[in-house]
Amino acid sequence: MQPTLTAKVIAGEKEVGRLEKVIMDPLSHEISHLVVKELGGAGSLRQVPVQEVQAVPNEEEVQMRFSADGLERFPVLERDQFVTVKEVEIAHLEDNIHVEPGEVLVPLPCLEQGVPRRMFFANMTHAIGGLIALPLVFPVLKYLMKPMYAPFENNWISVGNIKKIKKDDSGVQFKFTRTFKEAFMPPQEVEKNIWVVKATPKTQEAVYGGNDKKFMDHKGDVVWTNKHNAPYVAYSGKCPHLGCGYKWRNVKKLGGEMFLCPCHLSIYDAAGKVLDGPAPRALDVLPIQVNAAGEIQIIDVEYKAGVNDQIRLL
Amino acid sequence: MNGPTKATQDPTPFEKVVEFIDERVGLKTIQAKMLNEPVPGGSRWAYAFGSCLLFIFILQAVTGILLMFYYVPSTDHAYASTQYIIHEVDYGWFLLSYHFWGSSAMVVMAFAHMSQVFLWGAYKKPRELIWLVGLVLFGLVMGFGFTGYLLPWDQRAYWATVVGVEIMDKTPIAGDFLARFLKGGPTPGQMTLSRFFVIHVMVLPAALAGLAGLHIFLFRKAGPSGPFRGTPEEIKAKTDYFFPRQIWKDIVAMATVFLIVCSLAFIEPVVLLEKATPDPGDYHPEPEWYFLFLFQLLRLKIFGGQFGQFLGAIAIPGAFMALLAALPFIDKDPEKNIFKRPVALISWIVVMTGILIFTVSAIINREFLD
Repeated sequence: MQPTLTAKVIAGEKEVGRLEKVIMDPLSHEISHLVVKELGGAGSLRQVPVQEVQAVPNEEEVQMRFSADGLERFPVLERDQFVTVKEVEIAHLEDNIHVEPGEVLVPLPCLEQGVPRRMFFANMTHAIGGLIALPLVFPVLKYLMKPMYAPFENNWISVGNIKKIKKDDSGVQFKFTRTFKEAFMPPQEVEKNIWVVKATPKTQEAVYGGNDKKFMDHKGDVVWTNKHNAPYVAYSGKCPHLGCGYKWRNVKKLGGEMFLCPCHLSIYDAAGKVLDGPAPRALDVLPIQVNAAGEIQIIDVEYKAGVNDQIRLL
Repeated sequence: MNGPTKATQDPTPFEKVVEFIDERVGLKTIQAKMLNEPVPGGSRWAYAFGSCLLFIFILQAVTGILLMFYYVPSTDHAYASTQYIIHEVDYGWFLLSYHFWGSSAMVVMAFAHMSQVFLWGAYKKPRELIWLVGLVLFGLVMGFGFTGYLLPWDQRAYWATVVGVEIMDKTPIAGDFLARFLKGGPTPGQMTLSRFFVIHVMVLPAALAGLAGLHIFLFRKAGPSGPFRGTPEEIKAKTDYFFPRQIWKDIVAMATVFLIVCSLAFIEPVVLLEKATPDPGDYHPEPEWYFLFLFQLLRLKIFGGQFGQFLGAIAIPGAFMALLAALPFIDKDPEKNIFKRPVALISWIVVMTGILIFTVSAIINREFLD
């Protein structure tokens, strides 16, 4: 007969307590002790070896070998020296013991009993783990950041001849190929484009506001100055809204030809000023020079899109 | 006398092998635990979306691995190797197109799954963490779409990335770093392709597999939420195990998804544009259709200018996701019936209609540009 938990514990014909928990050996899966809650006294939980059991007449009763006052000589259960089988992995537990996992206690290993340093070991484990990870943070970050900040190139690039421009204050696209050398890659040619406007004095005034425009390198030194009365104005092909490529085309809504970006529908006039749409600033003017033969040369400057001020990227 | 037959006495060699393995692995217990999950109120078609997402992800992983047999993530070979997959490799066009349409299916299914959980009130206590992990998973799905889009290295790929990264650049404080980090430099190039590739094929799949595991673990721990109507007795009376009725619905739904994605791959196979270059030529850049509403939103003048852009591209979507994350902690009313949660129902309709209107207007706008 198997006693149920909370069965009465009888010693010397007298009920002395109730069966609260059982203690199991984690390797043999044998029950080693019963945990009995005293009826009298402080009502403490006492740890009674299973050999003290004399008989189990029915499921509700356990008869002990010791006398009615004998329960007191058994040690009080030191709960912190045990874990429940919920907290410890025991293989094939359910094959052997038919009780709820919370009711079975398993003693901590002998080496662990009475050791107050469990928290210390837990903290040390985390600390050592952290010490392994910490020295990696900076190298990994630097490793990943290697290509992020490149110095600006300020080479002059020929893009075409002014003969292509037939009309004043009208956008003309010049395509050019640029060689990029990126990290380990062989040099690659990419196609880019810029827009050039032959500006009337009125448009020149609108573009430059009467001031020469200076272009700096990453150190802040002046690389080139566009004169405010230079007739040819070059715009970066990158829309200052979010970086798409815009076109010179007829916009019916505003009646006339102007720059239109097909992405988010920003519209600019020949002076690059925003007429409509979400763009935060005017088109970006590039450093430009035109030689005696009419060849246009530019520096391929790129600015960050979507911000009010020009922040140079390239 | 009818004793037990010989067959039941002596197990076949196959049964012996199964028994041998089961004794050591506990397969039968695992299988039983997986199949015998009680579904409160019984099985429903509406519960199939989550299983479908898992199914789509597995097929994306399989087709993705297959694509990597030929694909080369370098700016001088990405385009050519993708063209090779499409035009030269047997069934390459199909696998690539399946992968392409599978990503759309993933987004659609994620919307359906989130909507179902939202409308059924299944995010409420004690399922807050399942909802939160689900939101992160949704972010990962979007990340998959964004990074995968660049890999063919055609004009469509290039410009979606240019604009997408410019948008991230508008994040306060970290934006510039984040944009440069993703691009691996000031402008898109080889470093960008390498980064997007490794994020797409290693980082995101690992994150998604892990978090999807956590999602399902948490779901199993809390148990299914069940229907939003009915008394506890009615729900109990209709309760059924995951197997067989729900599994049947799931597999039918998966087969339907599979057929739809296959059909799309056949009807509208992937065609590349010109090779990527910073000159868009005649191409009008546009993101993938599930980002169109955001794209159209950014055309509005109120979202113009530096601050407007931050508002439209970062602040509003960010606030919306934050609101979704906070939802189970704000909405503590245990009422799950959507017809007794007017704010929730109206909000859902407004958001879905808004997305629909913006998407449609983006499509209509195309005609005015040509």
